[in-house]
Formats: sequence, C-alpha cells, structure tokens
Amino acid sequence: MPAGIRFLLHRVLRGLLTMWFAVTVTFFLLRLLPGDPALAIADPGMTEELRAKLLADYGLDRSLGVQYWEYLTQLAQGNLGVSFRQNQPVLDILLERLPWTLLLAGSALAVTVALGIPLGVLAATHAKSGLDRFIQVGGITGQSLFVPSIGVLLLYVFGVQLGLLPIGGAMDGDATGAAAWGSIAVHLILPCLSLVLVQLGSYVLTLRSTLIDALGEDYCTLARAKGMPQRRVVWRHALRNALLPTTTLVGLQLGFLVGGAVLTESIYAYPGVGRSIFEAVGQLDFPVLQGAFLMLAFAVIVANLLTDVAYGLLDPRVRTA
Amino acid sequence: MTISRTSAAGSTPTAGTTAAALPPSESVAQQTWQAFRRNPLGLASAAVLILLILVAAGAGLIADYPSGYGEDVLAGPSAAHWFGTDDLGRDVFAQVVWGTRVSIVVGLAASVLAIVIGVLVGVAAAYFRYADALLGVIVDLSLSLPVLPLMILVAALAGPSVSTLVVVIALFSWPEVARVVRSQGLAVVPMPYVSAARVIGGSHLWIIRKHVLPGVAPVIAVSVVLTTSRAVLSEAGLSFLGLGDPNSWSWGAILHQAQRSGSLATAWWTTLFPSLAILLLVVATTLLAVAYNDARNPRTR
Amino acid sequence: MRRTTRTLAMAVGLLSIGLVTACSPSDPDAGGGAGSAERLTIGTTADVINYNPLVGNSRTDTWVTNLMYPRLMGMGLDGTRTPYLGTEWAYAPDGKSAKVTLRDDFTWTDGEKVTADDVVFTIKAIAAEKIGVVAGLIPAFQEATALSPTEVEFTLSEPDGTFLENVGFWMPIVPEHVFSKVGKVAEFANDADWVSAGPYQLTSVERGQRYVLKRVANYPLVDGGPKTAELVFRVFPDVNTEALALRNGEIDLIANALPPALAKTLEGDSKLKLVKVPSLGWAHMQYNLARKPLDKLEVRQALAAAVDYEAIRRVALQGSAVSSNSSVLTPTLKQWQDPSATEYAYDPARAKQLLTGAGFTDGNGDGLFDGLSLRMIYDQADPNIAKWAQLVRDSSKEAGIDIKLEGLERNTYLAKTKERDFDIYAGSWAIMENPPANLTLAFKCDGFINYANACDPALDKLIDESRSHLDQPSQKTAIQAAAKIISDQVYDNVLYVEEFTFAHSAKWSNFLVQPSELLSIVNPQSLAQATTD
Repeated sequence: MPAGIRFLLHRVLRGLLTMWFAVTVTFFLLRLLPGDPALAIADPGMTEELRAKLLADYGLDRSLGVQYWEYLTQLAQGNLGVSFRQNQPVLDILLERLPWTLLLAGSALAVTVALGIPLGVLAATHAKSGLDRFIQVGGITGQSLFVPSIGVLLLYVFGVQLGLLPIGGAMDGDATGAAAWGSIAVHLILPCLSLVLVQLGSYVLTLRSTLIDALGEDYCTLARAKGMPQRRVVWRHALRNALLPTTTLVGLQLGFLVGGAVLTESIYAYPGVGRSIFEAVGQLDFPVLQGAFLMLAFAVIVANLLTDVAYGLLDPRVRTA
Repeated sequence: MTISRTSAAGSTPTAGTTAAALPPSESVAQQTWQAFRRNPLGLASAAVLILLILVAAGAGLIADYPSGYGEDVLAGPSAAHWFGTDDLGRDVFAQVVWGTRVSIVVGLAASVLAIVIGVLVGVAAAYFRYADALLGVIVDLSLSLPVLPLMILVAALAGPSVSTLVVVIALFSWPEVARVVRSQGLAVVPMPYVSAARVIGGSHLWIIRKHVLPGVAPVIAVSVVLTTSRAVLSEAGLSFLGLGDPNSWSWGAILHQAQRSGSLATAWWTTLFPSLAILLLVVATTLLAVAYNDARNPRTR
Repeated sequence: MRRTTRTLAMAVGLLSIGLVTACSPSDPDAGGGAGSAERLTIGTTADVINYNPLVGNSRTDTWVTNLMYPRLMGMGLDGTRTPYLGTEWAYAPDGKSAKVTLRDDFTWTDGEKVTADDVVFTIKAIAAEKIGVVAGLIPAFQEATALSPTEVEFTLSEPDGTFLENVGFWMPIVPEHVFSKVGKVAEFANDADWVSAGPYQLTSVERGQRYVLKRVANYPLVDGGPKTAELVFRVFPDVNTEALALRNGEIDLIANALPPALAKTLEGDSKLKLVKVPSLGWAHMQYNLARKPLDKLEVRQALAAAVDYEAIRRVALQGSAVSSNSSVLTPTLKQWQDPSATEYAYDPARAKQLLTGAGFTDGNGDGLFDGLSLRMIYDQADPNIAKWAQLVRDSSKEAGIDIKLEGLERNTYLAKTKERDFDIYAGSWAIMENPPANLTLAFKCDGFINYANACDPALDKLIDESRSHLDQPSQKTAIQAAAKIISDQVYDNVLYVEEFTFAHSAKWSNFLVQPSELLSIVNPQSLAQATTD
C-alpha cells in the first residue's frame, strides 16, 4: 500500500524535522541571547580547570558552526550534559521522571477527550440555548484558570477539608499489587483534574463550532430530509467530519499540555519532568532546564506522530490529505 | 492557562474567516456593532476590561504603592484592608491594584510585539506564495513545541526583569498570531480586487497596505485581545516560578511572594484575590473576542 | 507503556464514577495504627544530593546522613559539647596533643565494630584531601594515632583550644573498611549499599519521592533500640504543600524550619505541636571594607543607624527572633555573652548627620545623598532575608541612602560572596557555636569567610590570644574584647538571632530539641527516641 507508506514516511520525516527545529532553536537562543552561553554548561562555582574542560568538551572555544555540530552529535548520543546541582547525567535524572509526566499528560488527554466530545455535541445540538451558553462560558472560564491557584484550592478542599484525597506525590511507596495501582490512581486524580479543567474548554469549543458548521452542510440536511433521526445525523455523519479539526487540535494542544504539567506537578509534588523544571529554575540548573525542554519536545513529537498515524489508519481520507 | 493557544484555534478567529474576507465597509461595521450590542456577555466583558484598564491607569489614585511594612501581618480581609494583608503586613488590595498595571502593561507590550512579528510573517506567507512553504513550516513547528519550558529556559538565562518577560513572552507567542493572520490572508489574497490591483501594477507594499492589511484587520483586533490575555497568564506563570521582576508587583509576583512565605495555602486571601484578578481579565478578554467574532459572522449573528 | 495504559484506564474509571463521592474508603491517615509506631514520616523540600557525609552540605543531606554516621560529640542547647561516640576528651598540658576516648558498643551495619581506626582514617582523609568545612577548622592538626580500639590521640602543630570541639562536632565518622577502598574519599558517591552506624539505616531511595530508613536494633544510645521501626523522608516541592500534608496527617513532621508567617497561621491548629529551637548563628549584614566609601567608619555607622532592628524582628520575623545587642557573641551562647554590649540605635537623623560629616551632600535635592548607591546581595531563596532586605532598603532610603537589592540564586550568591563582589552582604550563619574558631574564619585578615574584608591587627591579636588558651574561661576575656572591636568598628552588623519554629503532629512526643536548623528535632537522638502516645 504505497500511499500508506508514503504517508508514514512523510509523518516520520516531519517529526524529525520538528525535533531538529527544537534543537536548533535551543542552540541559537542560548548563544544569541544576552547572557553567557557558558553559563548553560558550566557552573560559575566550579573549579577553573573543570570549567575549562567542560567548555572545551562542548567546543565553546571554537567557531559557532563547530559548536553546533558538536551539540548535535552530543544530543544524538543522548548526552544532555551533567546537572550542576545533582552530579548526575541530565538524561538519567529526566528518564526517571518521564513516565510520571507521560502518565499524567496521557490520562489528562484521555479524560479531556472523553468529556469533551459529549459536551461539544451537547453544545452544538443545543446551539444558542442556555445550556450552550453555560458550556461555552464554563469552557472559557476553565481555560482562564491559573493552574497554581486552582491547584492549591483543590488540595485544600479535597485534601485538607474533606480529607478524601492525598496531598501530593505519585503513589504510596508501600502499596503493592492492586493496591499500588489504586494508590497511583488516587494520587493522579487532582493533578489530572486540574489539567482537564484548563484543557477541556478548547476541545469543547472547537468541536462545537466545527460541528455547527458540519450540521449546516448539505449532506446533513439531506440525511435529515431522508428522515434520519437527528441523533444519528449528529453522531454518524457530522461528528465524523468535525473530529478531524479536533484531532489536529489535540496535536497542537500536546505542547501546551506538557507545559501545563510544569505548574501542575510543582503544586502537587508530582515527581515528573515538570517538577524537575520547577526545581531547576530555583537552582539555575541550566542543563536540566534545557534537557527537560528537549525531552518534553521529543515526547510531544512522538505522541503527535502516533496520533497522526493512528488517525491515518482509521480514516483513509487523512492519508491523501 | 499559561500559554493557551486554545480559543484561537477554537471558537474564535479562524472559525469566521469566510465572513470577513471582504474589507469591512460601513455597513458591515454597523451590523457588527448592532449584533454585538445585543450580546450581554460581550458588553459585560467590555465593561470589565475598561474597568481593569482604568484601575491600571489610575492605580496611584486608588491605593498607595505597597511598600515598607504594616503591623497587622497576615490579617484577613477587613474594613481597613479589603483584601487582607500579606506576610509583611502590606495591603493586598494595593498590591492587586498596582499589579493590574504591571500585568496589563507586560501583557499589552508582549502582545504588541508578538502581533507585529506575527502579522509581518503571516501577511508575508499569505502574499508571497514562495515564502509560504518555509514560513508555514516554521510556524507549524514552533506551534507544536512545549512553549512554557522554553520560556522558562530563556527567562532563567536572561535574568529576571520586566523587559525580559516582555521579550520572552512575545518571542514565543507570535507563531499563533502568524498562523491566524496567514489563514485569513490566504482568503483575502485571491480576492478579485487584490488580483486586479496586481494587474494594474501596484507595488507589493501598496497592495499589502491597501488591501491585505485591512482584510486581516478584524483578525488582528481579536489577536491583540487574546494574545494579551495569554501573555498575562504567561507572565503569571513565569513570575510564580520566580522569573518575574523582583522590584515590581504583578499578579504573578503576589502569588510568588505568597508561595515563598508559605502562606499560599493558609492565608487564602493572599492567593484568592490575585488569582481572581487573573481569571477576570482572561475570561473577559476571551468572551469579548468570542462576542466580537459572533457579531462579525453573519451565520452566528 | 502497558503500565501507563492500565493506570490510565483506572484513572478514567475513577474519574467518571464521580470525583468526589465515590472515593470515601481511602483513608489518607498513613501514620499507622496503635502501639509503638511503625513509621515516622518527615517532610523535606529537597532530594538528597550527596550521600557522602564528608562532602554533602545541603540540609537534607545532613538530616539523612546524620542518622547514619555518628560524630565524636553531640551538642547541648547552649552549644556546649555532649558525649556521643566519644565519652571523654582532653588536651595534654602543653596543648600540643589531645586525646578522645570512644564508646565500645557502636557497630557498623555489616557487623564490624566502630573503632579508633575509623576515626583516624576519617580525619586523615579529610586532612589529606582537604575535604569540606572540617579541613578548614583544624589548621593545627598534624597526626592521629589509635592508642587502642577506644582511644585516639591527635598531635597538633601548636596549642589550639578549638581543635577538640571542632573535630568532635563537625566530623562524621565513616567506616574505614568501606571508604578506604574507594580511591579518593572526596569523590566517593556512597549512593548504594550503605554501611552505617547510626540509629537508622538507609534502605531505599525513590528520587523526587521518598527515602526510607529502617531501625538499627542494637543502636546503643537508646535503651531497647530506636522506638520507631521506620523513618520516611518525603520530598515536597515547597513548604506550602508540606504544610497541607502535615495538616491532613500524611506526614508527621516538617524538617524545615517554618517561615514565621506560616508558623503563625499553624499556631491555632490543635492537631499540631510547634517546637521552638534556638539558633546557633545570627543574621547579619556586612559592609565591604575593600570598597569606597565603606572603608570609612562614619559611613558604616550611618548604615547601621539606618536599620530599624525592632521592626525587622517584630514584623519580618514575627517576633521569633531576639536581639544580639549588635554583638557576635549571641545570647544563645550564654557562657560567652558580654552583658555590656548594646544594640546600634535606629536613628535616620543621626545617619544623615554622620554622612554629612563624612562629606556627602544631596545636590539634586532628591532626598538621597549623591554618589551613595550600594548593592546589597542576598540569597533569594531565604524567605526571611528576602523580607527584611526590603525593610532595610526602605529605612535606609529615609536616611538618604540608596540601596539596590540583588536577590540571587543560591549558587550565584555563594560565588559572589566568595569573590567579595558586593557592597553589602546580607545573610546568616547557621552554626557559629565556638567564637574563637569562628571569629578566626570570619574576621582575621585572611579569614576564609571574612566577607567584610576586615583587616585589623589589634583584632587578630586578640583572636589568636584566645585560641592559645585551652579552656573556655581563659579564652573568654580576649574574645569579648575582640567582639567589642567588631561591634565598634561595624565589621559586622548582627541583626538578630532567630528562634526557629518546627511543627510536628500532636500524636508524636518525646522529641529531643537540639539547637540550630540542622539539628532541631530531626537530630538522630530525637528521632530515635520519639514515640506516639
């Protein structure tokens, strides 16, 4: 199936291009902005000789072109540098944290989609009604929430006042077997809820507007004219077409989602990549900051690739698009 | 949320592209205004925004600049201190009032900068077809990256100050503007009157100024509002992480101080009021943008 | 991936059942059941970075490694030394050697005895590789020998009355049979298979989440061994979440000193107990004498007169601080304190007068003296200093002095202080419990932490004289005279001595309070003897 392979190849190339772009942007930002690029590699508190060695390792004493090439080679080998404060390779630190971020972001995405589709349909089929307005305003308010604020509020209400949910962390380290999974799930509720609250609006609103457009199209009018029940028109015909822009949005939103994870994980003491960023900011641990960005970018790119491919397999029209 | 690029892709600017493809004429503007006037949410949002801008402009008339210290430390809201006091006994109301100024100034400045870059890139991509491929890819690629971690990295390297915040936020907000402007521009450029101008032999600059820019103007208007609100959220996020300007009060800085002193979760008034201010501003701008778009679009009008 | 998907499914399930109502059975009260407690959970705000007790220097490092590696001496509330691994210590009459007698009932967790050889190995490694603080504190050290398994003799190059106290309190003892096989001791990470001799043994590490330590049953300093089976350090991103976790019972104790504002809001909570712990250090500002015009005494005096000391203690510290009467001999160290010391008066008018006398004018009439703008650096992560720095800036402005605040990230701040790159340094010492030793480092001409760049022959002579005495009473006279010079010349502006507040769950009691934020109630003895009611 050559069309399918071409599609796959195209998407993989695109992913590689995006990763190259992320790396290049980082490289040039760090070198062209005011501020000492050496700062991002060697800690001012280090001894002179160690500092000189590190700078030489990264080629900071050579031309920009050579530096860029060195940088690409190092990254290609998975070398993200050494943390200033933790005496550990950045990659090791972040790999330990990545699964938690994937879990949090993944579950937030799943819940958002699971709630977003019915809400979007509801708003579109009841356009201009009070329910529609309510969903719209609710969605917009959700998007406008400042994550740390809502995080503290939820913690206070569910953790301290009601005592229903744990205050922070990702799991109870003692639990084993099913209890461990239960513990992970319970710890996930509040961080996930916060992310869903700020995400949901955009899905609902996008779906709503594309669905309203789709319902106005000829094929829907025709289906209705033929006597097809409204419910079937919506779910079978209009929704299928409205889902494509929504899926595109899912891809776009992923970057935003993992960005939101920085603040969420910090408030909920969730041990993900986002919290390493929070800790690294306070300590000006530049290798960790840079590594965390690249790793999150990589995760987003891979996730986008997977979504694209999965969607392409499900919907043949996408492949030719 | 911090770098919500959400509503732009959603209900707002792109959805109504077909409607505004023509340069706005007197009657279109009038119809838009007529429709807008009938939308209570839009009107209320506009009122809230005007109020916030008045507060920002007249901060000095409303409250003294928060400095020094007060004897009543971490006191809850009262007649003397409407929003309570912080851990140095300073009035939280005064902080929120002065924070309005900093937050809005940072938001607007970053937004203007982002809009200038975004419009240049967006219009160029729409008008010069050969540039479109490259610019379009750059915009798409930037949009798919996690922006907040990148902002954090750059702000941490550049050092905390108001100008750093403005530049950093603008630097990572323009692709969204460019995307919206480009897609609107793509609808305007093939219009008969633009092609006609080309045939007559008008210079590119003249055509862009005379025809393309007016065509994308409504989208830019919406972008200013949305980008500002997003910039305010970004500013709050960066300041909360300690990357704000230590010598100025913004809403994010108030929350950062509360976090530092450990009163974030215990003295609710130090958290609630700046958070509400952020919420109010962002909700109002978004609702305004939605109302404006609805009013402009004959289908939803 | 599979694990993620399964969890995801569960999370979705749980969420859709209904977030609030369905989850009633999960009781977050993890503290455990009845009787002698199984577990004490302690909150901290950082991971352990270095498990090597000779190198690690963050608070969390110290709290955890203190539980694993004993020292020769402990510390009483007023800074005096108490027996620990060492039972007796004395100098030879000529002061050129010193002897410490050890307990014979300490064992490493692999079964080996803790002996004099371990002590000898540790101090030799420190001296040879110049490791950390301890190396700087023992300039007179020459040689150490094990006279018997329980007796160590140190040979000194000259009489030094601070040697025993320094080596006794500051030096953790490490197992020779492990650390001698690792090459350079300073570079040993010690991050697995720990062999330790404290009341608890580190058994598992989940970075970013928790550190679990298990009881060592034969620990000799608590009858019947440590009371609690297990200690868990849980890592939180900041003190806000930590406080919430303490309030809902997920943790039993916060290891960090509470910011005064937070302490105040927790006061009324009946489920918590607050403990006051004295500081062994002080908070201060130092003026860089190597920079004009701070080399002028009048300018330093003016700066000192432009600080509202009362307000700093009352507002910024919420009253949990006492005056040190502008002396480096703080009230915590009762046996050293000089009753005749008095605090600098807060008097902006006098400050202006002094500056006018020193030749400063306000030509442009903006209320600030011309050409007098000073940079004050501090660690922005220290919530107290970040607060009072603002008060100092505002009150100095009233006296016509412009102070620019530079809140810095901790490592940048340390680098700048090391290079003396500041006009005014604002900071605090954690432990300054032995004045002859501490003043040597902080005020002698080439002192390692002489941030003021003070170089005063009269002062140096007094400090040296006090060190040559081997007993505290004879050291005291010279040290008090030295402290008076420091205060008169404004080589150091001591603002206050903090009284730290720590919080623990009211279910727990029997903690042992030791001074300073490093020992507080998380010192090994305290955690080993704590019980639930």
